[in-house]
Amino acid sequence: MSERFNLLTPGHSGCAGCCDALAAKYVLMGVGEDVIVVNPTGCLEVMTSPFPNTAWNVPWIHSLFENGGAVASGIEAALKSLGRKGNTKIVGIGGDGSTMDIGIGSLSGAFERGHDILYVCIDNEAYMNTGNQRSSGTPLGASTSTSPPGSVSYGNPTHKKDMTRIMAAHGSPYVATTSIGYANDMIRKVKKAAETVGPTYIHSHAPCPTGWGFDSSKTIEIAKLAVETCLWPLYEMEDGEVTQVRKVKDPKPVEEYLKAQKRFRHLFKMEDGDKEIEKIQKQADRNIEYYGLNK
Amino acid sequence: MSVQLIKGNTAVIVGALYAGCDCYFGYPITPASEILHEASKYFPMANRKFVQAESEEAAINMVYGAAAAGHRVLTASSGPGISLKQEGFSYMAGAQLPCVIANIQRAGPGLGNIGPEQADYNQVVKGGGHGNYKNIVLAPNSVQEMCDLTIKAFDLAFKYRNPAVLLSDGVLGQMMEPLKFPEKAIEHKVDTSWAVAGNAETKKNLVTSIFLNFEQQELFNVKLLEKYEKICENEVIYEEYLTEDADIILVSYGISSRISKSAVEAAREKGYKVGLFRLITLYPFPKKELLKLATEKNRVFVAVEMSAGQMRDDLALAIECKRPVELVARYGGNIIEMDAILKKIEEIYEKVDF
Repeated sequence: MSERFNLLTPGHSGCAGCCDALAAKYVLMGVGEDVIVVNPTGCLEVMTSPFPNTAWNVPWIHSLFENGGAVASGIEAALKSLGRKGNTKIVGIGGDGSTMDIGIGSLSGAFERGHDILYVCIDNEAYMNTGNQRSSGTPLGASTSTSPPGSVSYGNPTHKKDMTRIMAAHGSPYVATTSIGYANDMIRKVKKAAETVGPTYIHSHAPCPTGWGFDSSKTIEIAKLAVETCLWPLYEMEDGEVTQVRKVKDPKPVEEYLKAQKRFRHLFKMEDGDKEIEKIQKQADRNIEYYGLNK
Repeated sequence: MSVQLIKGNTAVIVGALYAGCDCYFGYPITPASEILHEASKYFPMANRKFVQAESEEAAINMVYGAAAAGHRVLTASSGPGISLKQEGFSYMAGAQLPCVIANIQRAGPGLGNIGPEQADYNQVVKGGGHGNYKNIVLAPNSVQEMCDLTIKAFDLAFKYRNPAVLLSDGVLGQMMEPLKFPEKAIEHKVDTSWAVAGNAETKKNLVTSIFLNFEQQELFNVKLLEKYEKICENEVIYEEYLTEDADIILVSYGISSRISKSAVEAAREKGYKVGLFRLITLYPFPKKELLKLATEKNRVFVAVEMSAGQMRDDLALAIECKRPVELVARYGGNIIEMDAILKKIEEIYEKVDF
C-alpha cells in the first residue's frame, strides 16, 4: 500500500485543500501502478505537470479538453493491436466541464464501442481552471462567474446533469458515485471498476475551496455534508441496476451544506431565496426516496 | 460622455451592447473568459440573450442559428477554442451570415499557455476553415478600440453579411485603460430581405451553404469573391505615423503596434528616420497603400509581430517584394521589447545606404 501512496507525489501546485489532488490520489490507490492515465485539460493537468516537472509516477498523457474518451480508446486499441494490453488499465481522469460538457460525445463513443477503460470524473461543479464558470455539473442556485445572482437571477438556473446514469445507460458493466469525503469507499469502488472488464465509470463529488468559497481546511467536511444531506447519494450500479447504496441514517437539512459555502450565500439573503433552497431540499428528498437512502 | 477605467475584455461587451448585439453565446477559455462573464452579467440585465454553451462548437453553431434568424450575435474565445470553431466560420461565410467573433489570442500551438501571442494571424486572416472564404478582420490596439472596433465589426458584418473577427490578444484583453463610452446605441432591426425570422414575411428566405450542382457552387464562389473584392476596395483601415520621410517603416498591429510606436519615437530622437504603418484591418490588407510607400522611395520594411512572420508574408506580397522586409518577433507568451526593434533599426542603418 505504501508504494501506492506515492503514485501521485506531493509538491504539485494545487491550492491548499485541493479536491483534485485528493481524488487523483485515491484513484491511483485504487487502480495501482499498472495504469496509463489520460488526463484532459483542467486544474489537475495544469497543477501536476508544469514542464519540466511532473507529480505522476505512472505513465500519463495529457489530451485536449474534449477528447479524453477518444485518446483513452486509442491507447487501449493500440495496446490490444500490439498484443500488449495485458491487465494494464487505461484510466481517464477529467473534470466536470471536460467530462459532462465538451467531452461527452467522445466519452459516449468510447463507452458505446466497449473499450476496456475506466473513466473518472472529478466533479467540482464548475470550470475551476478558467475562473469558475458554470458547467452542466453546477447545482441549482450556485453562484459562478457565468451564473451570477442578481435582479433577474438566483444563480445557476438548472440542476446537475445525472452523468452517472447516462454512463450506465451506455451498457457499462459498472458505474459508481464516490466522494472525496469517503476515501475508503472511493478507493474500493475505483478498484472494483478497474478490475471489471469493459468501460467503467466513477463520478466523484469534489468540493473546491477556491471556487465554492470555504476554508481550505474544510474540504472533507463539505464533502461529507453533501452526502449527509443526501444531495450527493453514494451508490453503485452493475449492468444498469443499482446494487449498493450508502445509507444516511438521519439526513441533515440542505441548509447545513449550503450555508457553509460562499457560492450559495445569496440564497440566504435574497428575497424568495428560501424558495430556491426549498427546490434544493426537494432534490435531496427525491434522492432519499429514489435510492432509499434512509431505509 | 462617460469615461470608465475598464478591462479590454469588458470593453468588447460594452461595444457589443452599444452595437445592438442581442445574443451572446460562449464557452470559457483564458484569457477571453471575462467577455463571457460580463455577457452573463449584463446581457440579461439589458434584456438580451446569454447562453453558455457546452463546447466551442456548440457556441459557434448557436451563433449560426441566431444569425440566420437575423439577430446581432457575438461570441468570443482564444486560440484553441477558435480552432474548434472553424467549421462554424466556414459555414457562416458559406451561408453569408453576419456575426462577430472576438479572438483574444494566447500562445500556441496546442494548449500552449495563456500568455499573449499573435500567431492566429494565418488562421483568422486567411480563413481557417475549408473553402474559398475570408473573414473581415479588425485589430484593435487599445481598450478604447476593443469597444469601438467591436461596433465597427458589427457594421461590416451586416453590411457584407459575413463573419467579422476582432483579432486581439491576451494583453489587450486583460489590461485596463480609460474607455469613453459610445455616444449612441444602435437599435437592431431584423433584415427581412434574407433572414429567416420565423414569420410569414421571411418564409421564402433560404439560409444554406449547400449547392450540389457544381456550376451553381462555382457561381456562388464567384459571387463571394466579388464581395471580397468590394470589401478590399472600400473597407481598408490603417494608421500612418511619421512615414512620409521614413527610411524604415515598421509595419505592425495590435499590442505590437503600441511598442512599435514607442520605438519610432525613440529612434527619431536618435536621428533615425523611422515611421510606423499600423494595420487596423488585417483583411482587407492595405496593399495599395503599402505598395505606394515601397515604390516612392528606397526603404526597408520591418514587420513587428508576436508570430513567426505570418503577417510579414502578407506584407512582402503587398509590396510585391520590391523592398527588403525584416522581422522582429517574439513567441510563447513573450512581448516584443522596444530595444529589440531599436537594435534592428540600427542594424539596418549599418547595412543600408538610404
